[in-house]
Amino acid sequence: MKAMPTLEGGLRIDTENFNDWGVLRSIIVDANDATTHDLASRMGALISEEVGGEDWEEYIVPDLREGFHDELAQVGAAIESAIHIADGGPGPIWINRDEVFPWYSALNQARLALEERYHFGPAETISLEGVDPVKRTAFMRSKFYCAIQCLLLDHVMSPSKLPQQNP
Amino acid sequence: MSDTDTLIRTEEVTSLDVPWNVVVNDDPVNLMGYVTFVLTKVFGYDEKKASILMIQVHRQGRSIVWTGEREKAEFYVQQLQGHQLKTNLEKSQ
Repeated sequence: MKAMPTLEGGLRIDTENFNDWGVLRSIIVDANDATTHDLASRMGALISEEVGGEDWEEYIVPDLREGFHDELAQVGAAIESAIHIADGGPGPIWINRDEVFPWYSALNQARLALEERYHFGPAETISLEGVDPVKRTAFMRSKFYCAIQCLLLDHVMSPSKLPQQNP
Repeated sequence: MSDTDTLIRTEEVTSLDVPWNVVVNDDPVNLMGYVTFVLTKVFGYDEKKASILMIQVHRQGRSIVWTGEREKAEFYVQQLQGHQLKTNLEKSQ
């Protein structure tokens, strides 16, 4: 798989085979990991009872959950559409500038879910020696997602490359 | 007509509202460049101020990124959590 910035300010990912599409599909699978509490609930748990955690859980968490879900759905649909066009073989998928936030979010959701499940810890402290294959594979996926995020940050999301937005 | 009258006295008490802190906590997933980007986007901070706050998050484990009235603080916490930053709300000391 190769990824490169486009002249239009987006990112293009070229898959080389069906397995590469599987890696991209795993973004959604990892983000939806049912073995951990979902991201919106984990965010809600950060608001303590003393400052209104119950209300936060009732009114804010559902909105967060819906937002995260919509971003995953958008990215999932883009991946499935690209697989369909490529007929499962080698082919490109584009991340245009106006699609960068759902993509970054989906990759982040996947990495946060993997971290929640496997507790890799900070990058500088990670050692894969003696680690079981499932965790090792999960770590490699997390590294791959992180590499795409870095490309998005450097080439697509820098303030000079995005249209001005109201704070 | 009763023999006793009820006297109603209304007192108005004004006190200063306690300011609230919006706190971003460190985590091993969110990239430093992304944290800076989000602080710039949500608060309109310039890159220098956002970078200083991001470094504080990274080195000290947390940073108070905004202080003010509760309603606005809640709005900012929601925005930051929507960007997947580990954010909480606390009363300012």
